[in-house]
Amino acid sequence: MPSRFGALAAAVALVGTMSGALAQDTPTTPSIHTKAGVLSAVNNDGPKTAKSLTIGIWNTASNITTYTIGNSWNDWVLYMISEKLLEPSPYLSNAHPWLATEVRQVSDDGRIWEADIRQGVKWHDGTEMTAEDVAFTYNLYLTGPVNRWTHHVSDVPRIEKIEATGPYTVRFEAPRPMPNFDMVTAPEMPILQKKQWENVEDPRTLTDPVIGTGPYKLVDYKADEYYHLVAFDDYWGGKPTVDEITLVMIKDPQTMFAALKSGEIDGAARALPPELVAEWNNDPAIEIVQAPSLWGTWMQMNLNDPLFNNRDLRYAISLAVDADTLVDRVMLGRAQSGKHGWPHLDSTWTKPGMAIPFDIEQSKAGLEAAGMKDVDGDGFRDKPDGTPVDFRIVVSTNQPLYVRAAEIMVDQLAAVGLKSHVEAVDTATFNNLTTSGDYEFSISEITPHGLADQDQYVQFYSGDQMRKLLENEPERLAIYDRWWEARTREDRQKAHFDLQEYENRYPSRFMLWYPDGLFAYRWQSYDNYVSTSGYGIYHKYSFLQDAAREGFTVPLDQKLDD
Amino acid sequence: MTYYIRICLQYLLALFAALTVNFLLPRLAPGDPLNSLLGSDNVSTMSEAQKQEVLADFGLHLPLHEQFWNYLTGIFHGDFGNSVVLGMPVWDALMQRLPWTLLLMGLALVISTLIGTLLGILSAWRRGAVADIATMTGSLFIGSLPPFWVAMMLIIVFSTTLGWLPSFGAYQLGTSFPNWNWFLGVGKRLIMPVAALTIYQSAAVLLIARSSMVMAREQDYVTFARSRGVSEGKIFFKHAFRNALLPLYTHVMLGLGALVGGALIVETVFSYPGLGSLVVTGVNSRDYLLLQGLFVITSVSIIAANFLTDLFYPLIDPRTRRAG
Repeated sequence: MPSRFGALAAAVALVGTMSGALAQDTPTTPSIHTKAGVLSAVNNDGPKTAKSLTIGIWNTASNITTYTIGNSWNDWVLYMISEKLLEPSPYLSNAHPWLATEVRQVSDDGRIWEADIRQGVKWHDGTEMTAEDVAFTYNLYLTGPVNRWTHHVSDVPRIEKIEATGPYTVRFEAPRPMPNFDMVTAPEMPILQKKQWENVEDPRTLTDPVIGTGPYKLVDYKADEYYHLVAFDDYWGGKPTVDEITLVMIKDPQTMFAALKSGEIDGAARALPPELVAEWNNDPAIEIVQAPSLWGTWMQMNLNDPLFNNRDLRYAISLAVDADTLVDRVMLGRAQSGKHGWPHLDSTWTKPGMAIPFDIEQSKAGLEAAGMKDVDGDGFRDKPDGTPVDFRIVVSTNQPLYVRAAEIMVDQLAAVGLKSHVEAVDTATFNNLTTSGDYEFSISEITPHGLADQDQYVQFYSGDQMRKLLENEPERLAIYDRWWEARTREDRQKAHFDLQEYENRYPSRFMLWYPDGLFAYRWQSYDNYVSTSGYGIYHKYSFLQDAAREGFTVPLDQKLDD
Repeated sequence: MTYYIRICLQYLLALFAALTVNFLLPRLAPGDPLNSLLGSDNVSTMSEAQKQEVLADFGLHLPLHEQFWNYLTGIFHGDFGNSVVLGMPVWDALMQRLPWTLLLMGLALVISTLIGTLLGILSAWRRGAVADIATMTGSLFIGSLPPFWVAMMLIIVFSTTLGWLPSFGAYQLGTSFPNWNWFLGVGKRLIMPVAALTIYQSAAVLLIARSSMVMAREQDYVTFARSRGVSEGKIFFKHAFRNALLPLYTHVMLGLGALVGGALIVETVFSYPGLGSLVVTGVNSRDYLLLQGLFVITSVSIIAANFLTDLFYPLIDPRTRRAG
């Protein structure tokens, strides 16, 4: 017996050592499950340059400034004009020098960083970008009005001092370690021109076309209607491959795809519904491609509800979620199962090999153990205090796929004895319900910003509901604190992996699926799109010369089996 | 004179009530503009103080009565505030889109009134005949088709399948007024939205016109005219039609007032940059200031149309004239 125990202990120690060693090899290179390539019957070969393109967008891009774009559906439009120190994104841990030639850690504790700004980069008005612009931007994000990006300097991480130490050098100092500054913060924050912004009293009201350093200049626009972009001849990365791009707002998805089909637009910058893949597969004018978009669909639960304070109960419910069925029936097989958990399966920050089982019997046992029993004999479980349960699953009416998913979830929850029903409400009401906590479950889309970014993962704990988990679950809080105190990227990644593992064991939300990222365009107009994770094919890199985009984009030259 | 003063006062009261409702209505709906401005994943991680800070940029952090006062005084200064979702003054956004809505809705109103009235009169003329029954059945069927469905069918047939007409927008991008191509683009892009609205609206006009005519034809003065040997055509157009005009006039005038409100669904399906699609944008993003502005101009135009309708009634129908 002692020898057996000894062997077991040795095995556990070995596994522990191995997992420790694995954690040092960070950030990981994920095995990309969502391949990039062509799904159409024929892999066409169209023009690699174009005079002009018209592309449909669907979500308001407002004035295309960091103060009026609040979502991740159209941030690529902003990045056509405004650029970041490193690129392409915080999602892949492959940040390349962009407006900065180097971003380096200065202090061993990860608190101080410096960036060398690329010389000779021109703003769209012809003036040169300097360290002053960068320092101004980061300071504005730190102390100015809140926008979608500001929490990356004012919260996670919390930078306290930003200064230009030379004409082309900027220094960043934080009170706590920020070992991922070069991987998350620097590739996240769009740089503003000091000259344009320093005298703007209210950044949310700037209506002049924003001046950036990007490959395209915004020359004319009507918010919510169209945006006319013209190639910037003095772009430091070389002349873009398309001279003019007009982005037109088409909110209705059917109209958008009808316009693509009829040739009124050259590309549709929104995910192609799975059912159209089969329908358009042989269309000679349209190319359908798959490109990892790092999006996801999850079912959140209201953590303000005392019922969900019980972490074992949350786990028991997660066992009842049959994500594979959702993939088959809702996404027609064009997605990856969400059983991997949060964050995204293909994110570089994600611990490989995680899986949440689907086990109805274990789920039932867990619910029993949590005191969820059928007291009133109606065939459904009641709360531990005997109160009947009828969970509300809220969805937004503008997401028909999610309404379908919610209907299936009603059946899946019923299979373990939990009664629920679907409530479809308008978008704004949906957002209000989910942020105010007036619901039990909600199904919604989650963008790469929330699904594939380590800092944002931790940023979620600033919210009221997630903070409650930290208060109630000391183990979770301990890992969270460890993440904050980690001085090295490796230690931080290890803490993040532990947090992910804990989260998947005691989930705060259930991942349902990760869509394959399906896009369509008219190949005879332009056929030089590339894939970069997190953005699909519609992003500025699709309009840059090969030399400028090598290393972090994937050409769409591979024919995928359909 | 006292009558007109009283009417004016009534309308001023109605206007104040409408302005109050316009202010309250968006705020009664659950939600706020933060999710639209910052994204729900960001809002869910913000503190209450941060949220209030953002709302303060739009004056939405103030107590309700102060917001209401600012709103009322703003109207008289032509200051409707700044749209959260568009990042521009609400007034500018309204003025940018108003002409398109007036064009679209105005055309649909004129065409549907002409078609509906004509068919309604013919139907009443042939009351009970096969043509009457066919017109009634057809109009009821067509009028009950949801406009968004009609709009989608038109796009599928005329844009996707035949490729004859553009499916979205109000003008060809890259052209400018008063270029010939601009006019051509505007005309082409009006056909389908106007058709969708006309199909829907003309059925209502037809029913009103028909029932008014049928009722008028049963009046004593028609019987009297007939007994005097007046021709049927003269009776129909000179006596019956003039008297049947009043309900039609009311319908058209109310339509004129509602014109400014735009066509929410049709404008959205065709991505037509009018006020209707702006309402949808405002509602989806809970952009209170934008919605207030939209509702104000809609209310004012409806009340003004009602006012004009009241004023001109006596000219059309002498029976509505009052002594003094």
